[in-house]
Amino acid sequence: MIPLEHYLILGAVLFSLSVVGIFLNRKNLVILLMAIELMLLAVNMNFVAFSHYLGDAAGQVFVFFILTVAAAEAAIGLAILVVVFRNRRSINVEDLDTLKG
Amino acid sequence: MEFKQFIFYFFSAVLVFAAAMVITIRNPVKAALFLVLAFFSAAGLWILLQAEFLAIILVLVYVGAVMVLFLFVVMMLDINLVRLREGFGEYLPIGGLVAVLLVIEMAIILSSGQFGLENMPEPPAYTADYSNTRELGRLLYTFYVYPFEIAAIILLVAIVAAITLTMRRRKDTKYQDPNKQIRVDRKDRVRMVKMRSEKKV
Amino acid sequence: MTFEMPNILPAVPEIFVFSMACVILIVDLFLSERRRIVSYLLAQATLIGAAILTFKLMVSEPVFTFSNMFVADRLADVLKLAIYAVTASVFVYSRDYLRTRGMYRGEYFVLGLFGVVGMMIIVSAGHFLTLYLGLELLALSLYAMVAFQRDSSQATEAAMKYFVLGAMASGMLLYGMSILYGVTGNLEIAAVRRALAGMDADNVMLIFGLVFVIVGIAFKLGAVPFHMWVPDVYHGAPTSVTLYIGTAPKLAAFALVIRLLIGGLENLAASWQDILVILAVLSMGVGNVIAIAQDNIKRMLAYSSISHMGFFLLGILSATPNGYSSAMFYVLIYAVMSLGSFGMIILLSRSGFEAERLEDFKGLNQRSPWYALLMLILMFSMAGVPPTVGFYAKLLVIQAVIGVGMVPLAIVAVLFAVIGAYYYLRIIKLMYFDEAEDKTPIVAGGDVRLLMGVNVMLLLAIMPWIGVIIDLCSQAIKQLS
Repeated sequence: MIPLEHYLILGAVLFSLSVVGIFLNRKNLVILLMAIELMLLAVNMNFVAFSHYLGDAAGQVFVFFILTVAAAEAAIGLAILVVVFRNRRSINVEDLDTLKG
Repeated sequence: MEFKQFIFYFFSAVLVFAAAMVITIRNPVKAALFLVLAFFSAAGLWILLQAEFLAIILVLVYVGAVMVLFLFVVMMLDINLVRLREGFGEYLPIGGLVAVLLVIEMAIILSSGQFGLENMPEPPAYTADYSNTRELGRLLYTFYVYPFEIAAIILLVAIVAAITLTMRRRKDTKYQDPNKQIRVDRKDRVRMVKMRSEKKV
Repeated sequence: MTFEMPNILPAVPEIFVFSMACVILIVDLFLSERRRIVSYLLAQATLIGAAILTFKLMVSEPVFTFSNMFVADRLADVLKLAIYAVTASVFVYSRDYLRTRGMYRGEYFVLGLFGVVGMMIIVSAGHFLTLYLGLELLALSLYAMVAFQRDSSQATEAAMKYFVLGAMASGMLLYGMSILYGVTGNLEIAAVRRALAGMDADNVMLIFGLVFVIVGIAFKLGAVPFHMWVPDVYHGAPTSVTLYIGTAPKLAAFALVIRLLIGGLENLAASWQDILVILAVLSMGVGNVIAIAQDNIKRMLAYSSISHMGFFLLGILSATPNGYSSAMFYVLIYAVMSLGSFGMIILLSRSGFEAERLEDFKGLNQRSPWYALLMLILMFSMAGVPPTVGFYAKLLVIQAVIGVGMVPLAIVAVLFAVIGAYYYLRIIKLMYFDEAEDKTPIVAGGDVRLLMGVNVMLLLAIMPWIGVIIDLCSQAIKQLS
């Protein structure tokens, strides 16, 4: 028997990794987008685990929609990335510094 | 150790390792491949949780489409890898420390006992004739029909946005118009010119 | 559980706006640049049609449909009508701006309308899932609109920052929702409320989930310390898009707070009150103080919007129906003021010139006394100077806070309002007491001039009917519980 807590802690580990990844990544925008995907995976892990232990399928339906939205989000995120790259020839996070004040 | 427990800890370990690699590795292609590994392990865990449909969707849609899109973009852009490798590991120690602290804090709260086996025992496994896919489908097309339609709108927005942002018509690219090609007529292309024959000098 | 065919009648305005957006998307394909006005007129017709439908379908009692995922109540109706009006004005202001900058494409209106659908979904959400999907629909449209000027390196940078932080905010919100789902076993807002009623409000897991939900909301609102994206996005985005982001989505953000914190989690009020106090004080402080140091007016208005969000949170954190309706009043008035201010920047801009530095307002009185007067009223209203409606908005939220005995907080709020007045008054000084450097006459279409006049004069002329609006707000709030 695996307690629900273990799934939740796994979700928390993934979530922390992705938050740290977003804040510490100073180099690469693509990896930033991947960290966002990881964050959604952490949330999905929570929902699926709760759904199983509560015996309620609503959590799984929620995950279904999160996956859909995440796919749309990835498409737009990559489109913006391509546009940024065309303008600056770089996807370095540190180069995103023209807006200051 | 029970077999299920072994599976759980094995997949979790792979998942955490892959996730850590995704955020620390410098090469975006390798990061994408580690993310694929992470999704595969997560799918394994979801099967353990009897969410078979989602597990399969995660592999098919995520690994099959979204990650391929990532790889496609990474390879399409001419990224200067040397510059991306500069200053490697500069923030790694502090980042690692923050991550560990975050995990410990969240774990303390999450394991306060409320979600332990006493309060929330694992439900009995479904019988063999239970279909997770059918159950989700039933919900999706009845009680969740409104969000289902909204999801369709979101996908449309993604299409419109991605095309508006990235499609460009280059002036120097040449296009073929099949309609025009078919309707070409001899008199549009060839002109008969009557000329007097040249005289010998 | 038996399934009944849902009643789609209450959702007809949403369906109408979405269908029309699709129609515009297709019609626009066949239009040449010169006839682009057809898309614009269709977009305006859509908003007017939606307003008529919403008005016709107005309900006196809350109606739930789509298995309680959709709520039609007074709050939703009022906010939807306000969203249509604000968006229609945004389209009027932006048309010339887009045309002179080569961005006059149908997608601007299509994405704008998709954003409106997203806001409508948030406003009548009765389920965590619809709330989330509405939020994402709005956010995805906004990301694309910010990057709309795709050859501008500033705009694309702003879009990237907005995207990353926005996606992270959604992740936080979802993580909080997942924990709340685990504790209550429900995702439907009303059911979560019922489940919480029988629970200990000090439950550590509930507070854990609540913190993540509030962080997500604070990101979306742009409250300090989760405000980093606001100045960059306001500054980097094309002004017509800044205008859109700075107005209607604030109404949707209000709906998000109301539906989630008050509709669902009101039993945890004791816990979220403390967090909101911190957010409100920081937002008012940081927003007002940093705004002083700005020389770009779009950035200054961004910090001003952060401080306004702080004031708006004052109304919410009082956790009384009176406070909620004062917050609703505040956000409605703020949308009108923000619409006027960004509209003014667009009005002063022309082809190849963005009137976004403070110096561009120098000597506006010499160039056009009328516009200088309008800007004066706008700035007075933003600062909360008495004869304008902005004063009443601030007064009401501060009264709500005093009403629950948080007098020190009220004093802090007044103090920051006074500090904030400085940078609004500085613009007035520039307009009236400085020499104009640039004497080019201001040209604008008749519709823009008319709307600008109405927009600003509303801030004064509405005073006699202020009681009616406040009544409307309290009625809307009363239906919630």
